[in-house]
Amino acid sequence: MAGKTPPRRRRASRLHPGRLIVLTLFCLLLSGTAGAAAYFFPVVVAGVGQTGQTVVVPPTATVGSRPVAAATAPPGSPFTVLLLGSDDDQKFDPNHVLTQSMILVRVNPQTRHVVMESIPRDLWVHLSAGGYAKIDAAYAYGGPAAAIATVQNNFHVHIDEYAWIGLKGLIKLIDLFGGVDVNVMNPVLDDQYPNDIDVKFLYGYQRVAVLPGPQHLDGTHALEYVRSRHNDINGDFGRSARQQQVLLALKAKASTLTPADLPDIVSALSGEFKTSMGLDRVRSLLGLANAFDASNVQQVILYVPTYTSYGQISGQSVLIPHWSQILAVTRANFP
Amino acid sequence: MIVRRLAAIMFVPLMFAFGSGVYVYLGTLKSKAVKEHAQLPTVTKPKFVLPGTMFVVQDGRLFKMNNGSFTEIGPSGDWSQPAITPDHAHLIAVQRNGFSSDLYMLDMNGNVVKKITSNGSRNITFNHWAFYPRVSPDGQTLYFDTDNPKFSRQDPGVDLSVWSMPINGRQTQGRRWTDPYWYTGGDTNPIPVAGGLIFVRHSIDNTTTVHSQIYVQSRPLAIARALTAPTDDCTEPSLSPDGTQLAMICASNRQATTLEVAPFSGTTLGPRRIVMSGALFAGPAWSPDGTALAYFAPVGVAGHFELWYLAVPPAATPSASVAASTGASAAPVVFPTPQPTPIQVTQGVDLTATSAPAWY
Repeated sequence: MAGKTPPRRRRASRLHPGRLIVLTLFCLLLSGTAGAAAYFFPVVVAGVGQTGQTVVVPPTATVGSRPVAAATAPPGSPFTVLLLGSDDDQKFDPNHVLTQSMILVRVNPQTRHVVMESIPRDLWVHLSAGGYAKIDAAYAYGGPAAAIATVQNNFHVHIDEYAWIGLKGLIKLIDLFGGVDVNVMNPVLDDQYPNDIDVKFLYGYQRVAVLPGPQHLDGTHALEYVRSRHNDINGDFGRSARQQQVLLALKAKASTLTPADLPDIVSALSGEFKTSMGLDRVRSLLGLANAFDASNVQQVILYVPTYTSYGQISGQSVLIPHWSQILAVTRANFP
Repeated sequence: MIVRRLAAIMFVPLMFAFGSGVYVYLGTLKSKAVKEHAQLPTVTKPKFVLPGTMFVVQDGRLFKMNNGSFTEIGPSGDWSQPAITPDHAHLIAVQRNGFSSDLYMLDMNGNVVKKITSNGSRNITFNHWAFYPRVSPDGQTLYFDTDNPKFSRQDPGVDLSVWSMPINGRQTQGRRWTDPYWYTGGDTNPIPVAGGLIFVRHSIDNTTTVHSQIYVQSRPLAIARALTAPTDDCTEPSLSPDGTQLAMICASNRQATTLEVAPFSGTTLGPRRIVMSGALFAGPAWSPDGTALAYFAPVGVAGHFELWYLAVPPAATPSASVAASTGASAAPVVFPTPQPTPIQVTQGVDLTATSAPAWY
């Protein structure tokens, strides 16, 4: 026993109050971050899957030319977005849909000025993929890159970003916003409105009647309002004007959104929305919506006979572009 | 040692609770536009008790409001646009059925008395709409809108015309009153008056802009005369009970309207006065004594259309210029200054703005 020292009783170490506080704060920070991460998880998933889509735009229509990535505008400077809207039901291959709606939007964050120029879907143009066709086919032949290149080549504009939305996505988005308030200027009646949302037979028709006057439209009725075209004396131009009107109404609603709304938005748009914009730019656009006044939004529609004329090519009803007028108005608004 | 382990174990639920709290807290930061959903009128209490009885519509459901409370009336279905017969014994209302709509007569408690029109068909082309029912002052004739005939060139033209029929007669006795401007959606909002008919015509100008104008017409298919100018884009006329004042909604652009009032002689419209501006006003209806208006306007970020009440001040000495040579009225004047203060009647119910209140 001699020479053996008894094992020293380990003294229970006391946590210093300061360390305890630090540890507590760290744990709370960790759990709070976990809570926030869980909340914004759908946004992160969408950010990876739907935003920041890389687009390689061929600079000219020349076959075999080397594609280069379009340069995007630096933060704070004016930028141009090509908005694309498509039928995306099962009638079409999801990657080869026609764009029923093409709107060029220039946003100037400094002057808080917005210009929207609707491109008629029947406009007869040279496609970036080669050959001539209605411009709504550009997306079908080569996705967003081809749509962007076709618009850039024909309209002589530089497009910084694009955003594509499907029909169901628009319905869900408007419903998420709680509907939109619009003043319907005349009755929108249509006996040949496509009955192709959530039905088995995709080629049927339904009757639509959106009555005139100020009203609150839910997603389904707003879609009827912006999609109907058969009984409009202005045809596709009337529809373009209605699309711009609903976009403005959506902008008014978007100005009330907060980052906390992002998970609901991405969940509503799941699979129905693609954009080249990163989450940062989407978030800053939401912020900008607050600052823009409707009086600072200029709307351009390429009506017949000033900008276009009706024609028949290869048995198709098309719109023949009057390029000198179109390029003049486009150059003035999209410098 | 045990105490420390216990403390650590106790800390885990605390962390879980805090993380969940952050999650829930972030959810509370959502925009009101996203969070706010319309309530049923029957679970709300009007902020202001209106005189008389009023019928309004919310999302296809009919509601009766009197003595400061709402009661839902009528069978299930997609109901809209109630109108009261002059004897205050019946309602005429629209029921939509997917591809068509029909007019029904209901008693004042919403029980169906009879179906007036029959517009449904298996063939989509033979379906018709019926909207905007109004009963003549003598209670004998029903005026309404229907898309008959349909005009076909390349696309089937579906435009509304104003028709009339005996209220106790058959649809085949119907008589077309107006010949609309095709492919504009047609003529809407008929109001029978002693001298004929007031209605709204949609037309297009040479800059391809579609306009709405209030017209008056003396007999079926006669030439109609404009009471307002094309660029005023006036619509939704409402005639005061004594027939001397016309309230209307005019649009300065696609996202704002004005509520205006003008004296009406039976054939001509006097100077228009803007009584409300700066929002999306819709569906004006005169109070039973003709001294006030009820109308819809959106409230808050959710944009729900709520019911408002506005005491209309008596007309001052007219200061606007006389009617233009075209017969359309001149530009309106803002009257009075300051504008009268409206009273919000409902909150959070989002009433159907294309179904003007029926009030007696």
